[in-house]
Amino acid sequence: MIDGSHISPDVHRLLDGEPGGSPEDRAAADRFQTALDTYGAALRLPGRDVDIAVMTAVRRRRGRARSGMFWRWLVQPQAVQLRPAMAAAAIIAALAVGIVVRQATLGGSPGVGSETPVMLVRFELAAPRAQTVSLAGSFNDWSAGEEDMVKSPATGLWTITVPLPSGEHQYMFVVDGEQWVPDPNAHAQVDDGFGQSNSVIVVGPRGVVRS
Amino acid sequence: MKPARMTIALALMLLPATLAAQDQLPDVERQLVARGAPVEWAQSVAEIVAAARADGLPTGPLVSKALEGWAKRGRVPPDRVLAVLNQLMGRFGTARDLAVGTGLDDPPGSLVAAAAEGLGRGMTPENVRDVIAAAPTPEAAATGMTVAGSLAAQGLDVAAAVRAVRDDFRNGRSAAELLELPSGMAALIGQGMHPRDIAQQIVRGGGFPGRGSGARPKGVPPTKGPTDIPTKARGRRRGNN
Amino acid sequence: MTERANLPDQVLVRHVLSGNVEDYAVLVERYRTQLARYAVSLCGDSDIAADAMQESFVRAFDSLASCRDPAKFRSWFTRILTNQCHNMRTRTRTHVALDDVDAAANESADTRLTSNEIGRAIEEALDTLTPEQREAFVLKHIEGYSYSEMAGLLDSAVDALKMRVYRAREIVKERLQDFV
Repeated sequence: MIDGSHISPDVHRLLDGEPGGSPEDRAAADRFQTALDTYGAALRLPGRDVDIAVMTAVRRRRGRARSGMFWRWLVQPQAVQLRPAMAAAAIIAALAVGIVVRQATLGGSPGVGSETPVMLVRFELAAPRAQTVSLAGSFNDWSAGEEDMVKSPATGLWTITVPLPSGEHQYMFVVDGEQWVPDPNAHAQVDDGFGQSNSVIVVGPRGVVRS
Repeated sequence: MKPARMTIALALMLLPATLAAQDQLPDVERQLVARGAPVEWAQSVAEIVAAARADGLPTGPLVSKALEGWAKRGRVPPDRVLAVLNQLMGRFGTARDLAVGTGLDDPPGSLVAAAAEGLGRGMTPENVRDVIAAAPTPEAAATGMTVAGSLAAQGLDVAAAVRAVRDDFRNGRSAAELLELPSGMAALIGQGMHPRDIAQQIVRGGGFPGRGSGARPKGVPPTKGPTDIPTKARGRRRGNN
Repeated sequence: MTERANLPDQVLVRHVLSGNVEDYAVLVERYRTQLARYAVSLCGDSDIAADAMQESFVRAFDSLASCRDPAKFRSWFTRILTNQCHNMRTRTRTHVALDDVDAAANESADTRLTSNEIGRAIEEALDTLTPEQREAFVLKHIEGYSYSEMAGLLDSAVDALKMRVYRAREIVKERLQDFV
């Protein structure tokens, strides 16, 4: 998910079910999803043996007729709507490969919006004496060491370009595996709650402008 | 958090055997242990997340915070992480009560989390209510809250930040367009404008500098998001319930 | 019998909890058929998936009283199944997920027989994903979940899930270079 990545933001968006992109993008997204549908359709699935084994085990257990101690307890059910276009597309695709479409009765917490586009965002840090620099943030589960930045021999600048969904992202650079360094080009620095700080950028539909 | 729920949430935390039997949530535990965290500590984290979920509070940000705390373990003691998670959960409860008080029976997790973050960045309960009232949907309110909080972190006076967000909603701008504001702020600061001056212009009704103060120019259709729905009717925005 | 098969989840759960154990068989068949593909994609192996499903159904039965909203049995059970699949994947993976066309030819350890080269490539790519990436990718692209549905199921924010799916796509696409 870095420089030299194989999938453009437009194709990511298409694969997320959002409209747009060029005909080439749409073809690429179709090929990708079709390959996955082919894989899914070819899987050998567990059969009734599972049911039999389960019921055998379950009948042996003593009936657990606890009254509904936890039922309807603290959680309010939430409903999620499938966007109509997606639902239609999902059904058509499913019929094409014989996959059962599940009902949209799940609860969930929508994020900033399922329609958030993906933007390529470039991060850079001047750290000429560093051996390694990586990017750790809310968008990669703070996995320092996974987003390794690359140093330009000419400028000494460490850079990386990452596709990010729009919204706010908190992050830090990790130098030589242990030094956590803020981004002077971030929109802001905020308290991370641990007595340290995090850099913040807010990605909009047209990307990011730094000071 | 309401007292009854607090007691129950605490009770949940004191029953690790029950939780283990439920198989409900080892996701965060699994992730932490896979990164080398001690199992007992990871279980404590999982218990806090389970309690939050039981109380209908957003769990994603808690999991993210736990992973962050573990990643920063060189400088953050594990107990501190647990304390922060509990604190965050408490703030979510407060934020959720605030949102419910504005007439939303079931505010989305994104809104609760964004409101909690906003409160932590200097927004007042009144500010939070204003953003929710101005937004066309609860989901848009979450974005508005995030943007206001970010502008505040960039040095903009909180009242002005909230006003800028409110103005944008009232002018029919979509949540996505609101997300441009922090970049706009960064550009202005880069050009030498002082946050104080930016705030003044906003508060005087002049709008966010460079963005236009009032309604959209003629001939430009409004973006989606009705702004004239009475507050009472706003209740549940999502279907089937 | 046919009537029982049409009962909604919450009714079946109530029946089971009041002692009618046989009604559990309806839930088992319902979710075994609906989630089998998910389990196999997550486990990468049909036999391991079968074990994971079996184990999950039994655990779900044991803790059925703690299913807080029986109308949401599916998501509650999917969570249990997801975790079992992850737990069991650490067992030896022999890649018998795909239908073998000619089982007799499956002699050398080196050949994971499949009539489907694309399927093999995807299998291998899925194996290189982290558990979190794999579950997000499978839910998105094999099961067709939306990000908000996944967020409710996996205790993650939508953005974090998007990142995992994007990353997983890159990895899978790279493996599919020759085919797609």
